[in-house]
This record gives sequence, C-alpha cells and structure tokens, in this order.
Amino acid sequence: MTSTTPSTSTDIDREQVKEIVCEILEIDADEVTETSLFKEDHGADSLLAIEILAALERNLHVTIDQAELSRMVNLQGVYAVVGEASNA
Amino acid sequence: MSVLPGDARSPRRVVVTGLGVVTSIGIGVEKFLAGLRAGRSGVKPITAFDTTGFAHANGCEITDFDPARWLHHVDPAQLGRASQLSAAAAGMAVADAGMSVEALRSRRALVSVGTTDGESHDLDQLVGVQVDRGAEHFDPVVTRRVPAGRLSSSIVAELGLTDVEAVTIPTACAAGNYAVGYGFDAIRSGDVEVALCGGADALCRKTFTGFYRLGTIAPEACQPFDLNRKGILTGEGAGILLMESLDSARARGARIYAEVLGYGLNCDAYHPVAPDRNSIARCIELAHRNAGVKPGDIDFISAHGTGTKANDVTEAGAIRQVFGQRPPRTVSIKGMIGHTMGAASALASAACALAITHKFIPPTINHVETDPECGLDCVPNVAQEADLRVVQNNALAFGGNNAVLILGRYDEVAS
Repeated sequence: MTSTTPSTSTDIDREQVKEIVCEILEIDADEVTETSLFKEDHGADSLLAIEILAALERNLHVTIDQAELSRMVNLQGVYAVVGEASNA
Repeated sequence: MSVLPGDARSPRRVVVTGLGVVTSIGIGVEKFLAGLRAGRSGVKPITAFDTTGFAHANGCEITDFDPARWLHHVDPAQLGRASQLSAAAAGMAVADAGMSVEALRSRRALVSVGTTDGESHDLDQLVGVQVDRGAEHFDPVVTRRVPAGRLSSSIVAELGLTDVEAVTIPTACAAGNYAVGYGFDAIRSGDVEVALCGGADALCRKTFTGFYRLGTIAPEACQPFDLNRKGILTGEGAGILLMESLDSARARGARIYAEVLGYGLNCDAYHPVAPDRNSIARCIELAHRNAGVKPGDIDFISAHGTGTKANDVTEAGAIRQVFGQRPPRTVSIKGMIGHTMGAASALASAACALAITHKFIPPTINHVETDPECGLDCVPNVAQEADLRVVQNNALAFGGNNAVLILGRYDEVAS
C-alpha cells in the first residue's frame, strides 16, 4: 500500500489526518481503510467533503485547492493531497 | 376593523401599486428601472467587512445609501443595516403608491419581510468583540439591533403603524417570494387592506465566507446560465411591494403595476444545499395552478439563476420539465445586482412588475456563451422590448425551500 503513495506524503502525520477525517465522518478509526470511499462506503456528501478540507487546512496549517476535492475520495487520496500541500 | 366592500366570501383580486427598492444598481424605482433596462452591473470590491486572506472578494455592495435621507421617524443608529434598507424601501413603496402615511395608518395592514441573514453583519461584529475582549464589552445598541424581527418591526416604527401584523420570514434565498405570497393571501382573504411585503439583506462576512468555502463565489462576475459560469456574487438590498385589493386601488385611482395572480411553495428537505429538479418543477406547477395559468401563458421567467453550476443546470432542467423543449425566455437579474439573499426574489418581483408595466425583459448580463446543458434563451446582455401578460418569478433556497410567484398585467378594459 505505502509503495503506491507518493514519497512527498511520507512526512505527514497520517494518524492525525485519519483522526480528523473520522471525526467529521463520525466513524471509528477501525471502520475506515486507506481505500474505502467516503461517499459510497461512509455516507459522506459534498458538504462533508468540504468540512474535511477545511478541518485539514485549519489543523495542519496548509492550503488545499478546492479542485483537489475530486481526489480526496478516500484516505489514500487525502494523504497524497495533504502531502503535496505540505510541500508547497 | 374596516368593513369589506362587496361579497367578503369571494376572494379579492390583489394588485401591486407601490415599489420601494434599494439596490447596487440604483436606489428608488426610477434608477432601478434604468439599471435593469441598461443592464448595469453593481459589482465592486467588497468594503463592508475585512476581506484580507480571500483570494477574491467582489460583491454587489450599495455604496450610496444614506439612511438618514430615507428614515424620518426612527434613528438610523438604532437599526442594523438590513433593517435600515428594509424600512427605507417600505417608505419608498408607500410614496411610490401615492398613498399618504395617514391613509396607510387608517388601514389594517400586514408587513412581511423575508431574509436570509437578518442582522448577521452586526453579529459578525459582536462575535469579533467577544473573541477579542469578551461579551461584557458588547455595545448594547448593537446588541438590540440583532433580532431578525427588527426587519419588519422597523417598518412599523418608521411608518407609525398601529393596526398591523409584522412578521419576518426567514426562508433564506426564497424568502422574498414567501413574504409576497403571504401578503397576497392576507389581502385576498380580506384579513388586511394593505400589505408591505418583500425582503432585505445586508452584506455580511459570515455568508460570504460560507459561500466562499463552498467554492461558489465567482472571482469577478456572476454569469447566470453561461457555459463558464463560476458562481454567485453576494449582494445586498431591499425590495418592498405595496399591495392592496383591486377595489382599493381603483377607488383611489392608483397606478397599478401588476396583478398578483398566485404563488406556490414547497419544501423537499432533500439536501442542505443542492436543489432538486423534480421538486422545483412541482413548485412551478403549484404556482401555475394557484394562479390559474398554464405553462403556455407564461411570457417570461425571472429565474433564481444564481450562476452556480448546480443551480442553473438544475433550475433549467426543472423549467424544461414543465414547459417542454421550448420554454419562455428565462433571465436572471443576479448578473446585475448579485445574490441579494432574502431580498433577491422581492427585488426580482419588483423587476417583473416593472417589466410588465414598461414592456421589456431585463437582460442576463456578463453573458458570453450559453451552457447547452441549460439550453435557455436568457436574453443575453441587452434588454428586449416585449408585451408581457403573465410572468413567473422563481426563488429557490437551501434546504429545498422553493417559492414561485406569478404576476400578470392588469388591463382596465378586461376587468
């Protein structure tokens, strides 16, 4: 799994990202996998997706382009986007 | 209570005889009308609040509104900006109707004002004070301005009304039509003799920020139904319609802008922000039935037309669902005055009444290329002369609150 993740995201705190996502999706950490889909598997909608983006920006002090929402469909996507934003 | 003329059991016809408007393209009917005809844009950089940190912050702010010029009985400092706009517009509507304030006071009245934000601009300031210095530092004058009920009670205070029901209707971006619809019912049923109805909202940081975060604030201009539309621009303003029964208007020889034929409301509660096509179509059908008209009778539609991807394609789909593949010309005045929230459909109602009276269709400005998915004739950029008999005004709000108003030309001979 980690081999497919861009190296740029290795320095992010994945646990913290996962915690933020789970809190907004209102699910336990063991319910989500790196590839389970927020919308299809966890009942998220577009508003929750924006909440996730906003919470990541606020807590991790990064700026994420709204266009990246299309990639932030699961944890794997979120790790990649946050990794790139951290390096920006 | 006054005695009703004629047979009180038969519903009375309701007409619009006065318009009060405060907008970013003009204050007062004459300037608003000139702006609508010319396709004027009210867009400018926002100064109502600190926009530091936003990549773009254009809005349709009103920069030439001096409340002291329009308010004669209430102290402007005691009112929040939305209440100032609301009370000023009501005073204009009464004057425009050619009704003396004494005559107005002698009639049983309704005041209904729709809003999205109430006095959220003041709330923005108060929250700032609380965060910086603590709630004990609240300015009591500002705190008293906050309740949304002030948007309607300020009209009552300014005009010195005593035999009156005052209600503020908080159904957000469809609230103006809700308020006008309520006035229509109150006059039609004989509950009141005159109704001052519409909507008011002032620019506020909370709503700008919310829409910005949703990715729905356009960087520069609002382009309803355009292929490359990028979202809304927040705006501010107030529109108040003076309505009375046809008998009342004729008895005093009033100029009649339009007849209110009916309206429809529904709430699907399908999604917090996404509009639902079937529900909008049902609301349009409800309005047609209430007004006793058929789709083929509608000469043009004033759309909600916010300029977001989701609204415009969904609303256009609902219109085609009801009207078939050749719907009437469908415009959005939000290109000119932005999204004035609770005032939006009230100002659009005023625009429709003016369109009927002055025989033209206001344009959808900032238009380059129509989105084929919308597939509407949106009267791009330039107003068109048109002999209008029946017009439809759509309003759609978050939470699936829809309100559609039908106005008709009043023909002296036909009556």
